[in-house]
Amino acid sequence: MRSATWSRSPRRGLRALVVGTALAMAGPLMVACGSNSSQVVINLYNGPQENMATIVNRCNDLAHGAYRIRLNQLPRAADGQREQLVRRLAAGDSGLDVMDMDITWVAELAEAGWIREWTGQNKQQAEQDTLAKPLKSAQWNDKLYAVPYNSNVQLLWYRSDLVQSPPKTWDELINASDALAKQGKPHYAEVTGAQYEGLVVWFNALVTSAGDSITSDNGKKVALNDKALQALDVMKRFANSKAADPSLSNTQEQEANLAFQGGGAAFQLNWPFVYAATRDANPELLKKLRWAPYPGINGPGESPLGGAVFAIGKYSKHPKEAFQAALCLRDPGSQKIAAVKDGLPPTIRSVYDDPEVKAAYPMRDAILAALSTAGERPRTPFYQNVSTTVSTVLSPPSSIKPRQTLDRLRSEVTDALNSKGVLP
Amino acid sequence: MSHVASTADGAAPPRHKAGRRRSKPARAVTEGTRAERRLGWLLCAPAALVMLVVAGWPIIYSVLLSFQRYDLRFPDARGWIGLDNYATVLANRYWWTSFGVTTVIMVISVAIELVLGMALAMVMHRTLAARGLLRTVVLIPYGIVTVVAAYGWKYAWTPGTGWLARFLSNDSAPLTHQIPSLAIIILAEVWKTTPFMALLLLAGLALVPDELHRAAEMDGANRWQRFVKVTLPLMKPAIVVALLFRALDAFRIYDNIYILTNGAQSTGSVSIQTYHNLIGGLNLGIGSTLSVLIFLSVAILAFIFIKIFGAAAPGSEPEETR
Amino acid sequence: MATKSAKVRWSAINLAVVFFALTPVLWIVSLSFKHPSTFTDGKFIPKRWTLNNYFNIFRDGGFGRPLLNSICIGIISTVVAIVLGVFAAYAIARLRFPGRRWMLGAALLIAMFPQVSLVTPLFQIERSMALFNTWPGLILPYVTFALPLTIYTLSAFFREIPWELEKAAKMDGATPFQAFRHVIVPLAAPGVVTAGILAFIQCWNDFLFAISLTSSDSARTAPAAISFFTGASQFENPVGSIAAAAVVITIPIVIFVLMFQNRIVSGLTSGAVKG
Repeated sequence: MRSATWSRSPRRGLRALVVGTALAMAGPLMVACGSNSSQVVINLYNGPQENMATIVNRCNDLAHGAYRIRLNQLPRAADGQREQLVRRLAAGDSGLDVMDMDITWVAELAEAGWIREWTGQNKQQAEQDTLAKPLKSAQWNDKLYAVPYNSNVQLLWYRSDLVQSPPKTWDELINASDALAKQGKPHYAEVTGAQYEGLVVWFNALVTSAGDSITSDNGKKVALNDKALQALDVMKRFANSKAADPSLSNTQEQEANLAFQGGGAAFQLNWPFVYAATRDANPELLKKLRWAPYPGINGPGESPLGGAVFAIGKYSKHPKEAFQAALCLRDPGSQKIAAVKDGLPPTIRSVYDDPEVKAAYPMRDAILAALSTAGERPRTPFYQNVSTTVSTVLSPPSSIKPRQTLDRLRSEVTDALNSKGVLP
Repeated sequence: MSHVASTADGAAPPRHKAGRRRSKPARAVTEGTRAERRLGWLLCAPAALVMLVVAGWPIIYSVLLSFQRYDLRFPDARGWIGLDNYATVLANRYWWTSFGVTTVIMVISVAIELVLGMALAMVMHRTLAARGLLRTVVLIPYGIVTVVAAYGWKYAWTPGTGWLARFLSNDSAPLTHQIPSLAIIILAEVWKTTPFMALLLLAGLALVPDELHRAAEMDGANRWQRFVKVTLPLMKPAIVVALLFRALDAFRIYDNIYILTNGAQSTGSVSIQTYHNLIGGLNLGIGSTLSVLIFLSVAILAFIFIKIFGAAAPGSEPEETR
Repeated sequence: MATKSAKVRWSAINLAVVFFALTPVLWIVSLSFKHPSTFTDGKFIPKRWTLNNYFNIFRDGGFGRPLLNSICIGIISTVVAIVLGVFAAYAIARLRFPGRRWMLGAALLIAMFPQVSLVTPLFQIERSMALFNTWPGLILPYVTFALPLTIYTLSAFFREIPWELEKAAKMDGATPFQAFRHVIVPLAAPGVVTAGILAFIQCWNDFLFAISLTSSDSARTAPAAISFFTGASQFENPVGSIAAAAVVITIPIVIFVLMFQNRIVSGLTSGAVKG
């Protein structure tokens, strides 16, 4: 009876293992076949954008067979995008032809030699009719390293049922909130005060409005002289005033907008996406939504500048076609689609005069005005270091002590610019 | 580690003492020993090969990088600088803050998880109603992607958006102060990984034979005494594995903190700091140094565990007699 | 033997456990059904229900392929890790050979070293071997990092199995392998199932390798795919879609655990020991 139990049994486990591994190997093969044409394929890496496929198709049609753009996805978060691009560029990956980048990465990637310089005819076409500030943000060391795609500026958004005339300075904003609070009405002013890039954006806007800057023009040394004390003082007073939402140090752009939509806030300082977002989510609120220029310290302020550019990878195997593709992806036709359908403000002046764009952007004049005076963030290859450092030192804004914080900022930003020390 | 087993003829069970070595004969090793060795190597070879090939070089490479100055953007400035990186990190106050925070989170969350996990394991073992369903439900928190669970907690605690925040006063935003944030982070960790502990402890519980319980009951031991004197000692190996791996993982917490606070108000862990330096700052030298320091901290922890639990830890001498 | 009051007591305890475990999950489920306009209302139960989030992730988000990748890569990695782990754990727990301690130490070393700094060298190795963005490219790291847990768990279980059983089997005429397969393995089943479940969940939920070692849908797994979902604008997280994807991802885990959970405690009481 017992010996029967010990008869040989088939090695089922081993067989399953072999089959499984074979399946695993077959997986990628199933994907590899199917796209073999002799056409030049330009790989575009873009962050999630709902109608990018439309733009890509348009450019493929216009290319008339000279090349074919293939759209590849990048993660939604900016940090994730940068991580993917940098990792592959540092490894010399030739699969990155055109890359959609945030403007703060231009100096870094250019200095590391990972993106190609724009020269000659390409440069001329890139500069034609492009707004000045976005164009400057695509330059490094007086050379053009990318072509501006879309731009972004922050505005002061407010509710017309609570506020008659919008404040022009931060002090006026704080006082307006106080007055509303006394009347028991919604009184918060939503700002991105969480410990991340948004906090640096806010601080930078205050500093440039005060006439100072975080780093020197060439990005090699820290600037931040005594004028920055005003900026720090404003931040501290704001964070300790009635205008500050208790969640201020956990608020990013989306939370700011949601809080404004939820009805607890009278103001928010945010990018123009809030207009489309409010239109979709809360049409009632849209009727009361108004905008005004970014407030300043002693007068009108300099709005922070954001935006994206297209850069060509250094190791791309088809640079000529890649430049052409990038120019098409940001030409007036493409920018119009991005502006109307995806809410990305254009960087080419003529696009703003298009009737469809005018209809989608009732705040178009405010955006153009803000774009002409916008304050740039530091342009340095070490921008990530500076950003991490500044956001840590300034967080939470309510515990800023202007003189001490300024000294601490100066010393830590200097370290960051020299890639010394350890980031928090 | 004694083990009771009844043999067919009812003879007294042999007692196995762990750690008792067979005295080695002065002559050459026997054929049996050689065969045993060969079999041992053969069985370990596939796993060892996979681990060596995949993780071996990356670990060595990381350690080597920690002795270099290497910013990914400036490959020409790369160079050996000995222990300078270590000096820089160990003198940096951000490192010690995140080290302290990480240790606090780890100790508190593992302690809570051990107690809760044990209780949960007992419930899963002994429950008389819907056993299978209960065990599955208990594992669901562990099965949810950490990032999404963290989003759930974040929105739950955000005033205005969340259902938990409604129990707090209007002015408090717990995620903007250090201590409440740490409490929420620990809550998120505990909720997510207690099932891991519970599962390992349950499997350990299952090894305790019922006869021992009944024998102890007949001898007059009450429930608590039975638990402490019968169950716990026999569960030691399972407890060690559960504690060890949970503590190692807890020390490297990242996802929950990243979503909930992104390290604001000094709630950042050592992993978040490593990420900032390695991926954000592209400073491979410092980033690798941070990794090695994390590894060393965790290794010391493991060493302490193994010393405390001694013979119960896996890796001590196998049972006697062949 | 179960009295009525005992059953009631256990049901109450069960309910408490279920509440603690599931309430945050139900919150995520509720987020997945919420209409975006009611997102900030702070209510646990959605005022306006919508199934759009679920449709969207498959239609626009292209979630189908990453889900398939996750399932296949997860199963293959778990099977491989368990097989290799069983062999190694048996050797470590039952045999004497030089290098036993080194093996355990190496496994622990791999479990302890922060993975974030291993990603870049691994990325470079895989690129040079054309494994980047392939299934094996993810399976190999997953197996490697699941092995320490499986080896430790399984060796802790193998140690508990008494020697007499193997000797008895050998006296009955079994080869060592048959003794292993027919005597040891069933008794080690709780350990194997436990290690299998934990390894599967670890591979299933991994994010770091999935995002760093893939660049397209050919090999990208579900958790990584979540971070590619498009929001209404670049600043908005599509929380509804993320929650819906999380619910979808959790279902295979639930099925997997339901299938195997009763094997967790079929231990020594299953009769092999009694005479």
